[in-house]
Amino acid sequence: MFFWVSAILLTIGAVLAVLAPLTRKPGSAEPAASHDLEVYRDQLAEVEREVERGTLDSTEADQARIEIQRRILGLAGDPGAGPAGGKGGFARMAGAAAVLSVPLVAWGVYGMLGSPDVPSQPLQARLEADPADATVDELVARAEAHLATNPEDGRGWDVIAPVYLRLGRAEDSVRAYATANRLLGPSATRESGLGEALATTTGGVVGEEAVAAFERAVALEPGHAKSLFYLATADAQRNLLDSAERRWAALLGQLPADSAWRMPTERALTEVRAEIAKAAVPGPTAEDVDAAAAMSEADRGAMIEGMVAQLDAKLRENPNDGPGWRRLVRSYVVMGRRDDAQEALKRGLAALDGGEADELANLAVSLGLSVEQ
Amino acid sequence: MVETGHFALVLALALSMVQAIVPIAGSHRNDARLMAVGGPAAVTAFALVAVSFAALVVAYAQSDFSVLNVVENSHSQKPFIYKLTGAWGNHEGSMLLWVLILTFFGALVAAFGRNLPPTLKANVIAVQGMIGVAFLLFIVLTSNPFTRLLPAPMEGQDLNPVLQDIGLAIHPPLLYLGYVGFSVCFAFAVAALIEGRIDAAWARWVRPWTLAAWMFLTGGIAMGSYWAYYELGWGGYWFWDPVENASFMPWLAGTALLHSAIVMEKRSALKIWTLLLAILTFSLSLLGTFLVRSGVLTSVHAFATDPTRGVFILGILVIFIGGSLTLFALRAQSLTAGGLFQPISREGALVLNNLFLTTATATVFVGTLYPLFVEAVFGDKISVGAPFFNLTFGPLMLPLLAIVPFGPLLAWKRGDLAGAGQRLLAAFGAALLTVLAVLLFVDSASVLAALGTGLAVWVMLGAVTDLALKAGWPRVSAAVGVRRLAGLPRSVFGTALAHFGLGVTLLGIVGVGAFEQEAIHSSKPGDRIEIAGYALTFQGINQVAGPNYVEDQGHFALSRGDAALGTIMSSKRLYTARGMPTTEAGIRTLGVSQLYVSLGDPGEDGSIVVRVWWKPLVTLIWGGALAMMIAGAISLSDRRLRVGAPSKRWKQPTVVAAE
Amino acid sequence: MTRKQKRLAVIGGGIGFLALATALVFVALGQQASYFFMPADLKAATLAPGQRIRLGGLVEKGTVVRGQGTEVTFAVTDTEESVKVVYAGILPDLFREEQGVITEGSFGTDGVFRADSVLAKHDETYMPKEVADGLKEKGVWNPN
Repeated sequence: MFFWVSAILLTIGAVLAVLAPLTRKPGSAEPAASHDLEVYRDQLAEVEREVERGTLDSTEADQARIEIQRRILGLAGDPGAGPAGGKGGFARMAGAAAVLSVPLVAWGVYGMLGSPDVPSQPLQARLEADPADATVDELVARAEAHLATNPEDGRGWDVIAPVYLRLGRAEDSVRAYATANRLLGPSATRESGLGEALATTTGGVVGEEAVAAFERAVALEPGHAKSLFYLATADAQRNLLDSAERRWAALLGQLPADSAWRMPTERALTEVRAEIAKAAVPGPTAEDVDAAAAMSEADRGAMIEGMVAQLDAKLRENPNDGPGWRRLVRSYVVMGRRDDAQEALKRGLAALDGGEADELANLAVSLGLSVEQ
Repeated sequence: MVETGHFALVLALALSMVQAIVPIAGSHRNDARLMAVGGPAAVTAFALVAVSFAALVVAYAQSDFSVLNVVENSHSQKPFIYKLTGAWGNHEGSMLLWVLILTFFGALVAAFGRNLPPTLKANVIAVQGMIGVAFLLFIVLTSNPFTRLLPAPMEGQDLNPVLQDIGLAIHPPLLYLGYVGFSVCFAFAVAALIEGRIDAAWARWVRPWTLAAWMFLTGGIAMGSYWAYYELGWGGYWFWDPVENASFMPWLAGTALLHSAIVMEKRSALKIWTLLLAILTFSLSLLGTFLVRSGVLTSVHAFATDPTRGVFILGILVIFIGGSLTLFALRAQSLTAGGLFQPISREGALVLNNLFLTTATATVFVGTLYPLFVEAVFGDKISVGAPFFNLTFGPLMLPLLAIVPFGPLLAWKRGDLAGAGQRLLAAFGAALLTVLAVLLFVDSASVLAALGTGLAVWVMLGAVTDLALKAGWPRVSAAVGVRRLAGLPRSVFGTALAHFGLGVTLLGIVGVGAFEQEAIHSSKPGDRIEIAGYALTFQGINQVAGPNYVEDQGHFALSRGDAALGTIMSSKRLYTARGMPTTEAGIRTLGVSQLYVSLGDPGEDGSIVVRVWWKPLVTLIWGGALAMMIAGAISLSDRRLRVGAPSKRWKQPTVVAAE
Repeated sequence: MTRKQKRLAVIGGGIGFLALATALVFVALGQQASYFFMPADLKAATLAPGQRIRLGGLVEKGTVVRGQGTEVTFAVTDTEESVKVVYAGILPDLFREEQGVITEGSFGTDGVFRADSVLAKHDETYMPKEVADGLKEKGVWNPN
């Protein structure tokens, strides 16, 4: 609405700027010669002033006066008439065309280029808009803006941390969990969240820092299911299969019947027992993981990349491995290589069948990948 | 608000079309009504572009990320002042600023040109309108700052960190005021050619515009030079970069124009020079715009470039430069000859000045465009740098500087060179003494450095001599002299101060060029770096977080002998949004000289490379430019430059037509 | 001197002046313009010893060695050939591995290029124009 009103007002103003002088009687105008005369008279006066100051001697001054007077005489032959007012049809036609052309050109060109229906969207107003209408990105941005101005709001950090993790912004999640822990004091939920976020930054490898976080969580709340599950996973990744099996078995024993952790724990237990039976060596060895924890950021990245490449190669040779495919796809997503993730997903779905394929598809959907049917 | 700005821009385009056509048709048919359309149209076009520009600035201030231009050049966490300046820190916004200033000058001509003869005024405004149409079309069609982006992202990509500096708030607007100010002179020249007559009053009207544009351009170039000096972290103040040259060429031509216009006003001579220089100066401004915006040259001003833009501006360039020069070729013959003069005279000196300045402009032009030419013709890629300009521009400037003090002392028409020389003896003696003193007392001074210092002193004292002579010294007593000095027209002070400023700048250039010292050290905390009698002790580095960057600050304790002189802080910043590092040099001004400390890369063993320069007299470079700017302002305030209306006595009786 | 002679003298002086300036420009261009090369172009080129050139390309990955004190060595490559460059001084802020760079200097007798200036451009996405053109010709760089 504001746009249409302002546009119409501006148009009226512009049209008036052209129209007004056309309808007004032209004022009297000086012929050009009278302007020249004024200049020459000033020059004469300037000569007098310079003589007075002594910067011009009398002969020079006389010469200058004669020259200027000669120029004034030259003007006499050039009466120079001032312009006349508008006359005849041409002026009227030209005037009308000029007045009309302003709105026509303006609305025509704007019609091609403009987006009159798109309102201004100042960031502040977007952040304050009704949350129900907002996209996830907007909600996160709003929370971030709030936290930027109130960095001591522990609750805020606590709320945003899991959201970050869901959005795949694991590093931000780690930072948010750590800040919330500092401001609100540790809790089992936050510590385990921190551990999960840390594990996500390293591509699913539960490193030393993450283990420490989970252990703190268990210390705060001895039966904390998620933490216990991850601690078992850490053991499994370090190839401490017996210890992992014991932890999962113990966890299964204490979980209530309706716990969401029951399914994954059962599956993990089956897998780890199969592994023990095969005495195979899945994933990185304990040394690898310890090394990863001690490494610098860049080196760790390189190591993870190497491991993922290894896994990828292994799956090419031996594609009938559901958990392997899931790990590969998740790793690619975490590393930000979505194209590779998509490609791995395609290969995995082609290689697997039944429940394993469904599970891989479910994981892919939860990671935001597209699953072709 | 955004769309209102967009609409206002398009409306300004429509109005500029009227402004470009109707008044000129009116002057052709001698129709006062049609001619009168120009003024209000020009003022309204300015108001509309101002609305448009304000809308863009508001969009930046509010971080409206539904505007593509804002997304590409802003960030919600950026300090507020840089959100505002970011509006013109990019191609689209800076072109809008360009047009804003163009229409501003058009409005000024309309508002202050009440005393202009109507046909001249109509033609001038129409020519301004044509330039406006060309550049508004350019913006609307190829560089529209109001392009929307939907859905709007939540965050922008941030402004190039090098541009996040107060320099950006000042440098482009000043520079554009200069560039575009010359469009008024161009419009006056073209208008005179269209009419086929050039009035005595013409030069009077052109002079203030030239002066104003020249003043702003001087300031803009100096500001840009200082900005590059402290921001780029390598302590250079002039790189002969193509874009710098692009602003320097109109300055050289504009300086010649300024001097020509004086002759034309006083003596009606040098009409051809003045017209040609007016056309040339603005053409070079347009060329500068083309070089910067098209990206045909490798330059530090690497805005995003786009071939269609280059072609468009090239078209504008061809139309305006070609058109005006054709008009010049057709009409210049019909201009009546002006006053005659002897070769040795003020006029003669100014012709020589013009000759030197235009030739210098030509060498810069060749040096700037030769690589383009070679690449287009032979396919070779070459670069022309400082050595070329030192070898060509330098030898042209030195004789010019040497004759500067003579000019104001020569009389019009027929001058007395020997007499002028005699009166300059004192200045010459002082300059000679300076040369000797530098050779004797300054270690490491070369003959060239001593001569350069002497030349600078000669130019400065020449300006002082001019002022003293005009006040009547030494013929009159000091008291009378002071009284007469106070009575001198302001433009006399302007001339003297501008020439003095030139000498000051030269002194700065010679000082840095000849006596600069440099030390590079790989330093650990506690290390001492000694330079030019000062000692810097490296105290270490700490990390600090800024609003949108993190920086490593290196601290140095400065001392001379036993006296501690505080600390210097030099840092390296990393702007997080673009992951882009910048060097923030630590600069300490000591008198008119500066110590310049720049941090390099950390080594493996925890040390860091530190580069320190001693830059003697460096601030004089910009101090001289500032003096020239002030000189321009003083001259501009001279009552005599304000063109008065023909007085009532001479006015023709107003005939009221019966209607 | 008659007026005509005087005018001729003035015009003659002006032309002489311009001729002098033109000669100066040509001499300076002949001596001071430096040619731009990419590493692979050097095989075909004959360079006088000590001739100043500009060498452009990408900073080869893993070749940047910060030596004793302020000296830095790195290799400039166009993916076909690479040239070792030695530079003493502070590298520009945007100097990175695998980024475009232009160095100016001359070859020593040992075949090492000694640069006295190193340019990396301001804009993160910006590739020095000469380097971009050269790489495009070789088909190894494609912007987006």
